[in-house]
Amino acid sequence: MTHTISETLQGNRKLAFIARNWAAFFLLGFLILFSFTGKGFLSITNFQNVGHLAVIAILMASAETFVIITSGIDLSVGFVMGFASVTAGKIIQVLYAAGEGLSPGISIGIGIVIVLILSLIPGLVSGVLIARYKVPPFIATMGMWGITNGIALKICKGFPVATLPDALTRIGNGYLIYFKPGEGLSFFGLPPGVGNESIREYIRLIPNSFIFVALVLLVLWHLLRNTTFGQHTYAIGGNEEAAVRAGIDVKRHLIKIYVLSSFIAGLAGIFNIFQTGIGNFTPFGAMYELFAVAAVVIGGASLMGGKGRIFGSVIGVFLIAFLENGLLISGVVPFYRFIAVGLLLIIAVVIDQLFPDLL
Amino acid sequence: MNAVTKRKTTNLVMELGRRWALIFLLIELVFFSLFAQGFMSLRVFQMIFFFGITVFLLGTAELFVIITGGIDLSVGYVMGFASIISAKMISAFIQAGMQHLPALILGIVLTLIIGLLPGLINGLLISRLRVPPFIATFSMLGITHGVAELLILDGAAKNMPHLANLIGNGYFLYWAPGPGLSLFIRPEIPRGGFILELIPNIVILAFIVIGILAYVLKRTVFGQHTYAIGGNVDAAIRSGINVGRHKVKIYMLSSFLASLSGVIYVLMYVTGKGDAGASSLLDAIAAVVIGGASLYGGKGTVWRTILGALIIAVLETGLRVMGIPTFDKYIIVGVILISAVLIDKVFPEKTYTDNKE
Repeated sequence: MTHTISETLQGNRKLAFIARNWAAFFLLGFLILFSFTGKGFLSITNFQNVGHLAVIAILMASAETFVIITSGIDLSVGFVMGFASVTAGKIIQVLYAAGEGLSPGISIGIGIVIVLILSLIPGLVSGVLIARYKVPPFIATMGMWGITNGIALKICKGFPVATLPDALTRIGNGYLIYFKPGEGLSFFGLPPGVGNESIREYIRLIPNSFIFVALVLLVLWHLLRNTTFGQHTYAIGGNEEAAVRAGIDVKRHLIKIYVLSSFIAGLAGIFNIFQTGIGNFTPFGAMYELFAVAAVVIGGASLMGGKGRIFGSVIGVFLIAFLENGLLISGVVPFYRFIAVGLLLIIAVVIDQLFPDLL
Repeated sequence: MNAVTKRKTTNLVMELGRRWALIFLLIELVFFSLFAQGFMSLRVFQMIFFFGITVFLLGTAELFVIITGGIDLSVGYVMGFASIISAKMISAFIQAGMQHLPALILGIVLTLIIGLLPGLINGLLISRLRVPPFIATFSMLGITHGVAELLILDGAAKNMPHLANLIGNGYFLYWAPGPGLSLFIRPEIPRGGFILELIPNIVILAFIVIGILAYVLKRTVFGQHTYAIGGNVDAAIRSGINVGRHKVKIYMLSSFLASLSGVIYVLMYVTGKGDAGASSLLDAIAAVVIGGASLYGGKGTVWRTILGALIIAVLETGLRVMGIPTFDKYIIVGVILISAVLIDKVFPEKTYTDNKE
């Protein structure tokens, strides 16, 4: 039965295209459905909000994409993010000293640089453990999950790091274009002389976060699709033995992959601090890493490795994000989202099983 | 040093290395006895077992799954789900006019039966539809989490019987100077009087179940098949084991143990909670790995998993007695988890399984 479906599809390129991009079509279906059921769903403001809130999930999922293509898994991304956010918060808090220390720009800059360097360490450790000492990725990154979570909680003593410069949220929640009909537009802020209270009269377009995440995604997409690094990543996941024989330094490459994943999680932590204005540790129930894996699998990757696309993972994230948002706006109790994501995941894998050879 | 004594010493080192978890536990106990004021007491030791029950049971559940080369991410939320449905059912039965004891028993039995369902679905997805265990059980995590939260939208269970509390927080044995020895029932004593309380009821319950499972894994055909599947699936199929069916049973067992710990949670706290076991997942898997099981399957025993769980429980309790915030626990557990795999590589098991990988 399965076989025949698969064979029929091989012959039919249109159907094959739909089966391969089922997540995108599902997303489209959801968007249309929720436009009818949810009042205010179909609006620029709502779409921008969904996108803005999905940025962290997008970063996590793209980090996980690289790891999963090599047939590994990185359970530490969520807590590396919390570690990065808390550490950046602490550094900025100390340097800025509530306005009495360095200027906001310099303290934020120093905080970001130090934290991005620090965020390489968890990935380096788990990468070395996995590549050189053959610790299963699940265990190595689960260990890093505990360690980074503990360190983050120790740094912030269990409370979010507050009293940071306002500039953070001004940038993080700002927009590229502010526009009021008849008065022209201004970039990156309200026109001079306009108070914050009249912000609702302006149409705000393209959140700064979109520009940030688009740049990151462009780099990662290019890295995975057009470079030797990307080719090697697929090669290792497809067949590790063959990759070794082909002369790829698999161990070194795996370490790079986990460092990259951890670095992207660090970026997510930085973004988190810009978005909320405080350094947040990751709560236990957040399960960022599991939702990231879910998005990557929905996006067409296989946990067996060798398969996966950045574009697919982003679609996976949006599928989950719009599903949650649409259900919420349509007045459905929020807890259905857990059930919905669970069902989506099963659908994703079953479709993947039915049409194994399409990619 | 001649060759014989040298071989003897290396053998001794290997033997000790294989038992590193036990040695580590002893070091922990000595350390906390020296540095934690009031750690060395009967009360604290009973607390270690009392609050360790969740990890003991979830760890045992995870052990069976991990021996077959799988993983079950859903145990924590299945536990929460079970705690909520049992609390809801018990309170509904009492509302309907049932006596407390039958209501309690009926609620618990029904919960344990319903608790097989997530495992059945997991098992079918994994064995029939070839969904990777990670994905199938994560889906189940979402589904049980969602259903549990939906069930308590109208508030937590009310009118829970006091009897649950008596069982859950009671002890097997009481001894007081006046009334003497009594089983299960706490004797009336004057306020502030001396009473010796020994072995919490639910610890006995949990260890009966764990003991049975240890026997099942070690001595029965079911256990042999479990190891066989994890050791080499192809060989298991060739030797006539119905692997798909066995995996379904394994995930149902895991789900059953998770529901049991959910029920025990209700007895302990007299209420259900959706995320009751959420944070225990890391500890459960860590206990299994510290206990020497391999995520590639085919290895692990129940008692060593309990040993792994005890290492974590003693650590947590000891830190708490010392007044150190439990943040350190996460770091230490993470380090032990990784070290466990590395140490087990240095001191491999003597059995045939070390030829694997």
